Amino acid sequence: MRSPILTVAAKELIDGWRDRRAIVSAAMYSLMGPGVVAMVSFAIHDADRVLIAMMSVFTLVSAFVGGTNVAMDAIAGERERRSLVPLLLHPVTRLDLLLGKWLAVAAFCAAGLALNLAGFALLFHRLPPPALALALFPLCLLAAALEIWISTLCRGVKEAHTYLSMLVFVPMMLGMFMVFSPVAGHGWWKFVPVAGHQLLLEAGMRGAPPDPLALVAIGFATAIVAGMALAAAARRLEQDDVVYGG
Amino acid sequence: MIEVRNLQKQFGAVAALRDVSFRAPDGAITGLLGANGAGKSTTLRIVCGVLKPDAGHVVVDGVAPSSGPLALQRRVGGMLDHAGLYSRLTPREILAFSGRLHAIPAGRLRERIEELIAFLGMQSIADRPTGGFSQGERMKAALGRALVHSPHNLLLDEPTSGLDIPSVRSLRVLLQRTRAAGACIVFSSHVLEEVQALCDRVVILAGGRAVAEGSAAELCERAGVASLEDAFVAFTSAEGVAA
Repeated sequence: MRSPILTVAAKELIDGWRDRRAIVSAAMYSLMGPGVVAMVSFAIHDADRVLIAMMSVFTLVSAFVGGTNVAMDAIAGERERRSLVPLLLHPVTRLDLLLGKWLAVAAFCAAGLALNLAGFALLFHRLPPPALALALFPLCLLAAALEIWISTLCRGVKEAHTYLSMLVFVPMMLGMFMVFSPVAGHGWWKFVPVAGHQLLLEAGMRGAPPDPLALVAIGFATAIVAGMALAAAARRLEQDDVVYGG
Repeated sequence: MIEVRNLQKQFGAVAALRDVSFRAPDGAITGLLGANGAGKSTTLRIVCGVLKPDAGHVVVDGVAPSSGPLALQRRVGGMLDHAGLYSRLTPREILAFSGRLHAIPAGRLRERIEELIAFLGMQSIADRPTGGFSQGERMKAALGRALVHSPHNLLLDEPTSGLDIPSVRSLRVLLQRTRAAGACIVFSSHVLEEVQALCDRVVILAGGRAVAEGSAAELCERAGVASLEDAFVAFTSAEGVAA
């Protein structure tokens, strides 16, 4: 028999997939990077460094945008349309419900990332090394954990949309900072999720082999932050006003 | 059978429940009657296991409260507040999702879904996304979800709110048939006529307390009045005295 976590994840995947407007929007955001970089590449020549930096920032953002619509619908949307209480009536722990929803959001984040990488591969015949591409997928788990946590804090889709839109600026701003800041690549920055991914990605796109130690360290740091976000979301789901109150 | 003993629940500075006790027997519809804010919804949410009481406990079919909320939720079906359906899923898909969360084996679940679709008269809407449903159709899908695991106890929070007359009649018939099968049904309402038409027993709530309990005739006799409305006024105005 399928576990409740997978049952919830499967329902969210089907439900999310049927929201075609949201799927088209997420796909367009994921492919925005390849499109923009392609246009810039027509305008400037011999500017590999700039193009690679732009690619890596857009790739980081794509790991976040694929899941935002599903995340806002998964908890805040359930509260708004009053389907959360009926869901909580089932003999399933709230942690299991949360983990199922998190996995579904992570799957949509991963689809956004894969679409973005496919777009760059198609237009520029350039992909990060396979080990690095795989290392990017834990970033989707982190993005999904942050998104689902924000969704638990919001009472409705509109509120969740506001905060999740701000969250997508985090990889964008952190990525740009790493591209242009003189401190980039020094000290502890390479262990900070998103910032460290940007450094690895940029180096990988330039053809440098990924540093295994850096990959492990950033994976570890990403898992810790994702775990903290999930723990906060789980604690939030246990509070009375999730069940009661507008 | 549901036994509620001395429930208390505080939300910040507001005491939602001060002392609620009652018994809802099998094969009967028990009505929770009270004004808005009397504590009906909070009581039902605690009985369903989605809220924890600050004090007191709930015993369902003799299962001890120490068994935890999940043991309680296996025995209870609930339709609380609003239907709360997934607009992009069909009733059949919603029932299947709910049944899987109740760990009903796949073969049995398929049979149960067909039974419910026939019981609720949902044949023509079973495979349509619920997004465009009328209130009556939404009520049927939500009731089906509450019944998917064949619970012996069914809780409904103001289920006729927003329904048209044919849907109210249809719900009434469905509840009477569910009661005839031996279920314990608890039904909250602030509409006296509805409670009088459906319920075998009435629990009157006021200010977070259960102030009276019995059949409509017993309550009228105890209050020394002729109608349930007068009995309701007598018991709620003497809140604390009759408790």
